[in-house]
Amino acid sequence: MLTYDILIVGSGGAGLYAALESRMEEDLQVGVLTKVYPTRSHTGAAQGGVNAALANLDPTDTWQDHWFDTVKGSDYLADQDAAEIMTREAPMVVREMEHWGCPFSRTDEGKIAQRPFGGASKPRACFSADKVGHVMLHTLYEQGIRHGVNFLNEWQVLSLMHDGQRCQGVTAINTQTGRVHTIQAKAVILATGGHGRIYWTRTSNALGNTGDGTAIAYRAGLPIKDMEFIQFHPTGLRRTGILVSEGARGEGGFLLNGQGERFMSRYAPEKMELGPRDLVSRSCETEVREGRAGPEGEVFLDLTHLGRERILERLPQIRELCIEFEGVDPIEEPIPIKPTAHYSMGGIHTDLNGQTPIEGIYAAGEAGCVSVHGANRLGGNSLLDILIFGRRAGKHALEYARNNSFTPVDTGQEEADAKMIASIMEGESGASIADIRRSMGNLMAEKVGVYRNGKDLESAVSELADLQEQFKMVRIQDKTKAFNTELVAALELKNMLDLAEVVAVGALERNESRGAHTREDHPERDDENWLAHTMATLGDDGRPKLDFSPVTITEFEPKARTY
Amino acid sequence: MSETIRYGFYSGCCFQGADARFFDILKDVFAKVDVELELIEDAVCCGSGVIEERSELTSLAVNAKNMAHAEQMGLPLYTPCSTCYNVISNAQKRMKEDPAVHAQVNEILAEQGLEYKGTCKLTHTLWVFAQDVGLEKLKERVTNPLTGLRVASYYGCHTRNPADIQGYESADNPTSLEDILEVLGVQIVEYDTKDDCCGYHLAWPNNDLNMKMTSNVLEGAHTKDVDLMVTSCPLCFKSMDGTQAKALAQTGKNFQLPVLFLPELVGLACGMTSEDMMLKYHGVPVNLRL
Amino acid sequence: MIEKITPVRKSILANIRIQRFTPSEHKSAYFDNFKVSVETGMTVLEALRLIKNTQDSSLTFRAFCRSKICGSCAVRVNGKPVLACSTQLMPILEDFKKDSVSIQPLKNMPVLRDLVVDIEPVIEKLSKMHPYLMENRERIPETLEEESIMSKQEHSRFDYITDCILCGSCYSACSAASADPNYAGPLTLGKAYRFSADVRDSFQGERMQAAVDQGLWSCAQCRKCINVCPKDTRPAVSIQRMRKMSIDDGIHDTAGSRRAKAYTGDVAKYGQVNKPMLPVIVNGPKGWAAIEAAENYLKKHGIEPTLQVCTLGGQSSTQKIYDKVKELEAKGENKT
Ligand SMILES: Cc1cc2nc3c(=O)[nH]c(=O)nc-3n(C[C@H](O)[C@H](O)[C@H](O)COP(=O)(O)OP(=O)(O)OC[C@H]3O[C@@H](n4cnc5c(N)ncnc54)[C@H](O)[C@@H]3O)c2cc1C
Ligand code: SF4
Ligand code: SF4
Ligand code: FES
Repeated sequence: MLTYDILIVGSGGAGLYAALESRMEEDLQVGVLTKVYPTRSHTGAAQGGVNAALANLDPTDTWQDHWFDTVKGSDYLADQDAAEIMTREAPMVVREMEHWGCPFSRTDEGKIAQRPFGGASKPRACFSADKVGHVMLHTLYEQGIRHGVNFLNEWQVLSLMHDGQRCQGVTAINTQTGRVHTIQAKAVILATGGHGRIYWTRTSNALGNTGDGTAIAYRAGLPIKDMEFIQFHPTGLRRTGILVSEGARGEGGFLLNGQGERFMSRYAPEKMELGPRDLVSRSCETEVREGRAGPEGEVFLDLTHLGRERILERLPQIRELCIEFEGVDPIEEPIPIKPTAHYSMGGIHTDLNGQTPIEGIYAAGEAGCVSVHGANRLGGNSLLDILIFGRRAGKHALEYARNNSFTPVDTGQEEADAKMIASIMEGESGASIADIRRSMGNLMAEKVGVYRNGKDLESAVSELADLQEQFKMVRIQDKTKAFNTELVAALELKNMLDLAEVVAVGALERNESRGAHTREDHPERDDENWLAHTMATLGDDGRPKLDFSPVTITEFEPKARTY
Repeated sequence: MSETIRYGFYSGCCFQGADARFFDILKDVFAKVDVELELIEDAVCCGSGVIEERSELTSLAVNAKNMAHAEQMGLPLYTPCSTCYNVISNAQKRMKEDPAVHAQVNEILAEQGLEYKGTCKLTHTLWVFAQDVGLEKLKERVTNPLTGLRVASYYGCHTRNPADIQGYESADNPTSLEDILEVLGVQIVEYDTKDDCCGYHLAWPNNDLNMKMTSNVLEGAHTKDVDLMVTSCPLCFKSMDGTQAKALAQTGKNFQLPVLFLPELVGLACGMTSEDMMLKYHGVPVNLRL
Repeated sequence: MIEKITPVRKSILANIRIQRFTPSEHKSAYFDNFKVSVETGMTVLEALRLIKNTQDSSLTFRAFCRSKICGSCAVRVNGKPVLACSTQLMPILEDFKKDSVSIQPLKNMPVLRDLVVDIEPVIEKLSKMHPYLMENRERIPETLEEESIMSKQEHSRFDYITDCILCGSCYSACSAASADPNYAGPLTLGKAYRFSADVRDSFQGERMQAAVDQGLWSCAQCRKCINVCPKDTRPAVSIQRMRKMSIDDGIHDTAGSRRAKAYTGDVAKYGQVNKPMLPVIVNGPKGWAAIEAAENYLKKHGIEPTLQVCTLGGQSSTQKIYDKVKELEAKGENKT
């Protein structure tokens, strides 16, 4: 049997930072198991920045300002003690990244450069041109090579094992061979990223951001928190959901509906295209709902009036992106766009050390929920979250593994998983993965998307149950064991269906509008009844069971969120 | 109709030793299609990318100097050598993208009363034939179509990579060489190693590897049962012809594949003889049934 | 002037030829043909996914970010390594003037299945190159209370390489890597340079030796890697710079560094490289055999070996260029 003292699942920023915490430990075996090669994790896609009050650009910036911005941005659903830790420790982790070689852009004095970001009162997003996540991820991987971190690449975790109190380990399938293994571990850190893919093509997330770790924890009986909060970005490309960054609007781009009207004049006559993300997303969605979209349900981001020169000079990357991914040259024609699911605020419930209610099981990064983002994450805060809580989880797991012994485990789960896989592989006649997945994505985008209401949510919940039924018969054509990507997709779909249900049920239950969660039938924030975290656990009937727990408020009393 | 096209001629250093014959061959072949070359008198070696391994600035200045002369002559710079073409192209691009570097280079050139303005147009045998002369005129001048000859066409790397510096044609799917060959009447044969590199520039630092790479390319063409290989690069020609025997011997292969430099084949098709083309100097004997 | 927007979206029925291979089932690779209606905007990856979703779900390929940042999806399209996710199909059909394209796995790496290759050998080569920063304590403070200071200019020396996404396209295109299994390849040498050029690093010496041992001088400078790199990281340029750095650092005992010295010196002196002398300069006494062979060859053909080095006319002026560059360098004003 494979054994590690600490097994880290996921090699994005959170997983790798956790792994590096143990880089000098000789008495512990630490492994990183990941579905894709480490540098391919979705952390690499982050372009904008990572927040830390270094005060390199604005000397008056303090971590307390950052703290307040975070809490306000969260629509007061963030736990303020957690947000305090994150913002206070931020400068330290960013400097540590820098000391490891992370090539942040520089100020004229040679310090880490910072830029303004939505929702931040001071310019504090540390950046590296437009590739900050990429350079952070590579830096962590490089240091991982240096310190001999043990990687299991292209392995997919299937189940989490515990005895009701303590962690036992996981089961996982080696994609390259198709074999299922039991991996015993004193501590497991789930750093498997977000679940934006439950919206399938309507997301900016990677194809594999299917919330595997979150779903696995949920099925293992752990509570998952605030799942109904999903952040949408207004300008995703029509075909792929890939982001066209805010820069295009900042430079003077117009948003047009299918009729060619600059529709933001209806919703934000002053700020027009430069309104906050959620408002712009809702406006786009309203145009579509009211039948003013383009031929394929899109609206348009128009840059043509800026002229060739300005576009080539100021927005060359955005132009390249539109040509490469959408086949549209923004110099010539408007860019077709749709709002796109961008970030999962919710995730596996943890304490300030990243620990779940089961000893030895940790979660960190977008998969986890401490919570620091509450109902709405600020740009630049999630790269920070993964570093801070990746590190804390790593540190705590180290202590835990050192002071505890292995919990006995048998091969029961491995056998059950192998059987589950065999039965999936037998599917011959049912719907295809692609069909179920597409239905799920469309349904989520329409009924559990930017706008929500009780009626749609109810029907979403029942349609999702249908899809889960369909999944039981799913058709698999590829019967080969080695590198069976159809099986990988099936396992991911199973996870997504479970999480989609929790998201929909949570959204249905939450009768208010807060942050990214907008209920047409309950348009106001309701602190009296809903200043609370949603905790979902898997009920005996196989459906999610919801509880609510209070939000930690230490410093800032909830106020209306206006910008 | 038959207007003469003129170029500032930059030979580079590839026509040395036995290859010095190409000065005359090139002149004669070009005369057939009304092209005249005017030697750039005060030129120096482009450094073939090696000077960069000591000083990029020196390399840029040297190549800016060559271009400045062409600018003064008011003619496009023509070089038969693909590496010279590549190195000069890169210098052009580098200075275009970085005005500070461009200015510094001109500061260096100022001492000899020169300025590189950045207007110099650059071209190579491929596009002289395929675009400036044009396929139509070339066709008119073909008196001895090489019908039935099975030919493997080989561009080599330096007119293709990196792409798009001069914008003559797609680097992923160039066709100029095949277009020319088609006009000459030959049958073009596809082969797998066409895009591979012959390794010429490893001749000094890693000769064994050069030999292996050359041998790989040759073998790919040989297995397609071709009569000969034609290359538009004089350095690839050296690898493929001059060192063919050694390359094949070192890699345990046993065949002979005649290799022609593109102007030679054009000359033959335009009615010139094997003697005119001095084919006897080839490393691998060329016995064509013409 | 409000006008209804009617985007122009074309569509062509194309034949997509895909190389297939499952080691446990097939003896060798073969091609499958799929008919796909290619629309404006469709990437190679979308076509692959469409085929997988609607025609053959066993078609195996990698893809993750589908936005040109993870490096998973590199394949060869009509022979050229590209990222499937950021490559539009329509322009390729137009460029090749055909209604058919071929898609194959990358070269120079073993195929695991269909379009999926084993990148482990490349990662191993990379790991041997010390691809990480080792703290230079003159630059990097001991404490996390302070940042290290690095100027914009120092940063720009290597920033362009940090775009590399380890997609393997350059490695696939590299003929030196095909011919020499021990050659580290473009991306690894690019990474080596990235760290050695970082003022915050203190490991240049060891890394340089690793680079020399793994083929710093085995790159043919064919520049294909520059052409295919989807992130424009120009590995061949980094290799030139790494070569310079290795010579500056005193690694003079390689054939490559001797060549560099000869070329640079000769051009200054003669305006051109003294080719007849190169064999001895680069290879030492055993080079005489090559010189004699060359002279015999010329004699055989009745050509007199010439004593004149330069066939070009500009030799008198090159020394001036060199002197001026030296002068600028001495003042630390070199802008390249
Ligand atoms: C387009 C885009 C732009 C963004 N820009 C910014 C920004 O500018 N600033 C900012 O702060 N945030 C940004 N974000 C958000 C931020 O990038 C992510 O929240 C963060 O990177 C998540 O990191 P992570 O380590 O938690 O997970 P990820 O990086 O997603 O890594 C997850 C890891 O888990 C592994 N994994 C998943 N499932 C399994 C399984 N079953 N078995 C084994 N391994 C598994 C994967 O292989 C992967 O290694 C952006 C997000 C997107 C999509
Ligand atoms: S330039 Fe060098 S590294 Fe790049 S492809 Fe050619 S031989 Fe390989
Ligand atoms: S250098 Fe370019 S082509 Fe090579 S691996 Fe990196 S990104 Fe890919
Ligand atoms: S899928 Fe990530 S680079 Fe193409």
